[in-house]
Amino acid sequence: MNEQTNIRNFSIIAHIDHGKSTLADRILEQCEAVAQREMEEQLLDNMDLERERGITIKARAVSMDYQADDGNLYHLNLIDTPGHVDFNYEVSRSLAACEGALLVVDAAQGIEAQTLGNTYLALEHDLEVVPIINKIDLPAAEPLRAKQEIEDIIGIPAMDSPEISAKLGIHIHDVLERIVSDIPAPKGDPDAPLRALIFDSQYDPYKGVIVYMRLMDGQVAPGTRVKMMATGAEFQVIECGVMQPLGLLPTGRLSAGEVGYFTASIKNVADTRVGDTVTEAARPAETPLPGYRKAQPMVYCGIYTEDGSKYPDLRDALEKLQLNDAALSFEPESSIALGFGFRCGFLGMLHMEIIQERLEREFDLDLVTTLPSVVYKIEKTDGTEISIDNPHDYPDPAQIAEAREPFVKAAIITPQEYVGNIMPMCQERRSVFKDMKYLDSTLVELHYEMPINEIIYDFFDALKARTKGYASLDYEFCDYRTSDLVKVDLLLNGDQVDALSFIAHRDKAYGRARRICEKLKENIPRQLFEVPVQAAIGGKIIARETVKAMRKDVLAKCYGGDITRKKKLLEKQKEGKKKMRTLGTVQLPTEAFMAVLKLDEE
Amino acid sequence: MLGLYFHIPFCASKCSYCDFYSFPGTDAQMDRYTAALCQSIKTFPPEPADTVYFGGGTPSLLGGARLTAILNAAREHFQLTRDAEITVECNPDSMNAAFLSALRTAGVNRLSIGIQSAHADELRLLGRRHTFRQAQEAILLAKEYGFDNLAVDLMCGLPGQTTEKLMYSLEQVLALHPAHLSCYGLKLEEGTPLFRTQPDLPDDDTQAEAWEALCSRLASAGFLHYEISNFCKPGRRSRHNSKYWDLSEYLGLGAAAHSFYRGERFAFPRDAGAFIGGVQPIPEEAVSGFNAREEYLMLRLRTSEGISRADYERRFGDFYPIFQTLRALEPHGLTLCSASACRLSERGFLVSNAIIRLLLQTIHS
Repeated sequence: MNEQTNIRNFSIIAHIDHGKSTLADRILEQCEAVAQREMEEQLLDNMDLERERGITIKARAVSMDYQADDGNLYHLNLIDTPGHVDFNYEVSRSLAACEGALLVVDAAQGIEAQTLGNTYLALEHDLEVVPIINKIDLPAAEPLRAKQEIEDIIGIPAMDSPEISAKLGIHIHDVLERIVSDIPAPKGDPDAPLRALIFDSQYDPYKGVIVYMRLMDGQVAPGTRVKMMATGAEFQVIECGVMQPLGLLPTGRLSAGEVGYFTASIKNVADTRVGDTVTEAARPAETPLPGYRKAQPMVYCGIYTEDGSKYPDLRDALEKLQLNDAALSFEPESSIALGFGFRCGFLGMLHMEIIQERLEREFDLDLVTTLPSVVYKIEKTDGTEISIDNPHDYPDPAQIAEAREPFVKAAIITPQEYVGNIMPMCQERRSVFKDMKYLDSTLVELHYEMPINEIIYDFFDALKARTKGYASLDYEFCDYRTSDLVKVDLLLNGDQVDALSFIAHRDKAYGRARRICEKLKENIPRQLFEVPVQAAIGGKIIARETVKAMRKDVLAKCYGGDITRKKKLLEKQKEGKKKMRTLGTVQLPTEAFMAVLKLDEE
Repeated sequence: MLGLYFHIPFCASKCSYCDFYSFPGTDAQMDRYTAALCQSIKTFPPEPADTVYFGGGTPSLLGGARLTAILNAAREHFQLTRDAEITVECNPDSMNAAFLSALRTAGVNRLSIGIQSAHADELRLLGRRHTFRQAQEAILLAKEYGFDNLAVDLMCGLPGQTTEKLMYSLEQVLALHPAHLSCYGLKLEEGTPLFRTQPDLPDDDTQAEAWEALCSRLASAGFLHYEISNFCKPGRRSRHNSKYWDLSEYLGLGAAAHSFYRGERFAFPRDAGAFIGGVQPIPEEAVSGFNAREEYLMLRLRTSEGISRADYERRFGDFYPIFQTLRALEPHGLTLCSASACRLSERGFLVSNAIIRLLLQTIHS
């Protein structure tokens, strides 16, 4: 057990690529929390995917001991935060578990939207924010400008911030000293009823769910009967301890101010929701810690396997992923075009991509996914309100009294020369301009209220393309707004292809429908007959293309009665057709289908 | 009734597009090969036959005497019907008076002459050894010697071949009044000299247009389109080749010759030396997914009669799935269906592969 005065709980806030993981590695190294030879680059990011993308998907935490210059031994807990807007809530919970945060700013690039959002979040939680200027080894580094930016934009003193290079290990010692001197020690009451904040949980096949928590008050030890205040679930603690870089270390007892874990043969990660408060069943706290909410999926899509017989494998894989990811939701759905699959809900686009990639990589599945959709709210003429995340469920327009779609508050930070490119782009996407702030002489922050529908469609790519990758986007859910929505159906040879239907604002429906029709035309191989490709709203055709009929596909000569040669040729062609999907009377290769569904990746 | 096929693997030179088994051959080789064919005939039990076909290669290269010897051996062993159709494939450059006279005497009554094109550049590209003029002269000469059942070959889908170019060749050939015309699309076979040059072929639409023009011109000239690639004046269809589409039996002798005999498909190896040495034919490998029914559909749909419901039901049972699939294509102008038979239209012929695949899918699902 550690004296609270010698504990420092902190996290690191940084934009993607600004060196968060590298700095974390260096800190671990300096504390000798992990032997050099066991040191793998970027130890905190455990998943392959995280390492490749250079982002943290799930929060992790690690404890280490640091012998400070003042002669005392400090117990440092680094709580890592996910680095993407999709995981905003997880970030806020991780920050709530800390007393301070290191704000890592790239000396060459300065502050970005993401960093800013998370820094404000940290300040809201009364965290002590310690600026660190990283990448001073870069030729383009301007540490002074970066410091000035921090002071101007965020309004915290930064002039004496450490200037470091995490990559080269320069001035890491200064960072550690700052953690000890600037970040306050926790001030919990070890004798009060237990209150611990869950900031992450993970399923382990041997121990059940491992719950990662920060103890605010009270104590916990093996044998303690604990209660989750939001879900009401109760468990008997079997093991508790601290997280070390290379594994869990059981310690027997955890006390206020500490960061640690417990296990209790918990089968279901959904019982241990991030943000929930753990208390003692026998002596419960009066009130839970503030800020808990259930993760709400913002984006939905249908996930199918290319090979229909792999459906059970897909179900198993989703179940396994869900063990570790309570924010992932799924339920079975079926499509005439794609067979059996699942309607899956995600926190955002990145979350969706990550799940898809993990399904393909870790479970070796070939997926077909439908166009993502947000959750629409429909008030029907009979007074009932329904939520729609699947175009398939969209009611008849005659039954709709009012349709609403979700909006987000979006913040875009960009060098000012791109403002002229960004504004029309946002306007095209039905966004409401709120204000524009000069963060400093070159950097501008734009605020919009945007329909999420437009963001998931192609906004990220468009933003990147029009700002040479310099602009960054941050957003959070705002509200639902009345919208002139329509459901667009796609028809091949007159037959509706359910998997291609989508919901859009009426103004956008026509352009999108045209693009999809064109894409289909490009990708559908010629059939035996002319195939009309149509998009329709209700019974009205709003776009049309035609796939011309195949004109020639014939084996000419039967060489002296050599029938076998012909048979082989036909059989070979037939093999080639096996990967075809039949949509009504039309056959098209799965790749063509995918090309249409991935409209935005152009 | 049985058809007899003799494969003659000799060619004076190889055409640029051909991946068939053939080689120049010396007189001695031709003699030995002829003897081997005569010998091979006797290894099968005698039975009546009504067609004889000398294919190749270039059968005319064998000369009148050897062809006569083979034909006589066939007559002695098999009972050739009085009106048997006896065809010899000829190249225009090996059809001289003596040769034609010898064939006539031997009882050959049909010649199939590879003309391929009336354009010098196309003939050159194909590596043909003759000019169109030689072809014209050969046909006139054949007529002089009393051959009235003349079949000619044309090729379409050649590099640079426009509709006009194909139609010009067709008009030139029609002026020679053949009884039968085959038109085969060029297929680039791997390993051939033409394949190696990777020529640009006309696109499918261009080829289809040229083909449709050819079909309609032949119809107006009184030709029946009785099989995908074959056209004839009434009563002049190739009885021997028809056996292939009818699933009638034929016995093929010679290197690389294929047979459908006593219900079995087999072929002699592509090796003239082995054939001379008395090698036995080898059963053809089974192609997965292709049984008697699939084969029947594939072959019958090549013909203008198509699939007769009564015949199909006698052989395989329920005709309805076939009917239903083909009937669905009728509005698109690809098939013609009645209560008693289904067949492909002219346009259907052009996409017959796709239609056959669709049928196979239907019966396999």
